[in-house]
Amino acid sequence: MGSGAPFRGAAPPSPPGARLLFQTLITGLSIGAVYALMAVGYSLVFSVLNFSNFAHGAIITLGAYVAWALMVHFFHIPFLPALLLSIFGAGILAFLNERIAYSTLRRRRAPSLYLMISAMGAAIALQNILYATVGAKLYALPPVFAQDVIRAGGATISRMDVFAFAFSVVAISLLHLLLAYTRVGMAIRAASHDMEMVAVLGVNLDVLVAVLFFIAGGFGGMAGVFMGVKYMVYPSMGWITNKAYIAAVIGGLGSLPGAIVGGMLLGVLEALVSVTVIGSVHLSTYRDVFSFGILAVLLIVRPTGLFGRHLEEKL
Amino acid sequence: MRVQFAARLVSFAAAVVVLACRPGQPQTIKIGHEVALTGPNATWGQSESRAVKMAVEKINAQGGVLGKKLEIVAYDNRADRLEAVNVAKRLVEQDKVIAIIGPGQSGVANAIRETNNSAKVPLIATTATNPKVTVNDDGSVVPYTFRTCFIDPFQGTVAAQFASKDLNAKTAAVLYDVGDEYSQFLGKYFIDAFQKSGGKILTSEAFRSGELDFRAQLGKIKDGNPDVLFIPTQQKEAALAAKQARDLGIKSTLMGGDGWGSPDLFDLAGPAIEGSYFVNIAALEDPAIKDFISDYRAQYKEDPVLPNPVLAYDAVLWLSDAIKRAGTTDGPKLKEALEQTKDLQVLTGKLTIDPASHNPLNKPAVIQQTKDKRFVYVKTFVTAD
Repeated sequence: MGSGAPFRGAAPPSPPGARLLFQTLITGLSIGAVYALMAVGYSLVFSVLNFSNFAHGAIITLGAYVAWALMVHFFHIPFLPALLLSIFGAGILAFLNERIAYSTLRRRRAPSLYLMISAMGAAIALQNILYATVGAKLYALPPVFAQDVIRAGGATISRMDVFAFAFSVVAISLLHLLLAYTRVGMAIRAASHDMEMVAVLGVNLDVLVAVLFFIAGGFGGMAGVFMGVKYMVYPSMGWITNKAYIAAVIGGLGSLPGAIVGGMLLGVLEALVSVTVIGSVHLSTYRDVFSFGILAVLLIVRPTGLFGRHLEEKL
Repeated sequence: MRVQFAARLVSFAAAVVVLACRPGQPQTIKIGHEVALTGPNATWGQSESRAVKMAVEKINAQGGVLGKKLEIVAYDNRADRLEAVNVAKRLVEQDKVIAIIGPGQSGVANAIRETNNSAKVPLIATTATNPKVTVNDDGSVVPYTFRTCFIDPFQGTVAAQFASKDLNAKTAAVLYDVGDEYSQFLGKYFIDAFQKSGGKILTSEAFRSGELDFRAQLGKIKDGNPDVLFIPTQQKEAALAAKQARDLGIKSTLMGGDGWGSPDLFDLAGPAIEGSYFVNIAALEDPAIKDFISDYRAQYKEDPVLPNPVLAYDAVLWLSDAIKRAGTTDGPKLKEALEQTKDLQVLTGKLTIDPASHNPLNKPAVIQQTKDKRFVYVKTFVTAD
């Protein structure tokens, strides 16, 4: 497979319809994996603090910029260490974001609406800090694999996508183990049921929330670096987190498996919509109408999503 | 005490003198400049701003216009429509400019149309290539809007004719941005002209501004295996589409319009963009603008980011010529003089304006190839019809 030569000679040629469908599914899954990574960050924070952290997109963007600074601008660190450092860096930034923008509100037990407004403010501020300091220029992260694609069954799969997929699976599995089998994980799970009670039982909430944001930020940084390599790095790239938010709602805000399934589902659905033609109308231009339409319908029909349990308002 | 009083007296006297010397009329002719100095279009905007400065300095060194010096009032519009309207209002209402140069984007130029036309202040767009910038839907001309560049039908025609004649392309596909007027129309004009010259359009796929992944659409394009894939977008989408197309195994020759002409195209697209062709308004190697390029290099120690600087420079030359001919900076008279421009020597050749459309006539286009991480001048192209 290293040569990247098409297999068409060896394998029986598949009909174009089936091949296109297969290719579209692969494309959808690779986009869905990024949505899932982002949605995990949303859902983690939502599960405990019960508000939508709209600054998550800015953290994702900053994660990509950390990778750019490490790999291109200041140093020429190889991809893997740069990825790990960016995950760490984005985690720290998310922690700082919480300390500056949310912790005071949280201690005063402000309604989650206030936290969400503060998050929106933080998102705008962080993006504009990027515009003011680094500027609006577009940057590319260096390609990770020399041979970019694997060809199979008439379809092509990007090596980066395969790597990102595998890395995400490992990271999410580790997160699952952490939540299921460690004391911190137990505290987080308990806090997602009743934060007051957990505090009464002697858990330091500040530490718990710090860990929570560090993990959420780390996942965001991971998503940012993958996006930077696949596409490019620019200040408004966090825009795509709108889709991750939809994914999280589809899966059920606050649910980890929900975030993953929701992300994958949205990625595949969007890719399928993009190649669909009804009459002479190409649905690709209606993709976002479709995605946000799902969000609206779901909030009416099944506000808890596929796996959610919170029935309170979802802001 | 006394010393202090004396000092006050002197400063008061000085103020009186300064005030007395203030002229009843402004000593300069103020020209507004709508330019993107920040944001994604800043690369061109900053270079354009320098070129305007060079043109004004040159004219002022030769004694200015109507005995007055030209003065540029430039504001950053970030290539944002809303911001551009604010800038236009500020230029017209507060700075009282006699004309506006810029903007470089068709959508932005359309957004400020109301402001400059109702104030009767002529506007000369630089690289706004959409026909609707100067011509209304009913075919009437927008009275106070002009431009120095060619228009998209022409650019689309050039690309299509180059594809079918020089590249011998028989089939083509188009991937365009449905949320962007420039992209949508350039794609449409390419399709029209390509079919007219006997070629076949296999598929035309759209995406929406802001999207990053076109692999679903490109997968469909791949099935037809077209000779040429035309991508009428800015460099960002062109780079992403090129990378993803090559990843999917699309072998077609990639082509684009002047939106590609940004130096960061190569950083963003990598080897995927090599060997592609695009239509541009000006090229560094174009013999016609040799002197300007060397002046610019001497002053700023780098190459200008084409094409905006050249077209903005032309706009200043054109405007100052029109003011001279009109003998006034009065809006309606200046507009007439701009309209009646004929065979005026500017950087990009001889400028003649079509009064019915406010577009320059017979503007040649440049074909460039992306080769070894550089834009290589291929030829100057004049359309067949």
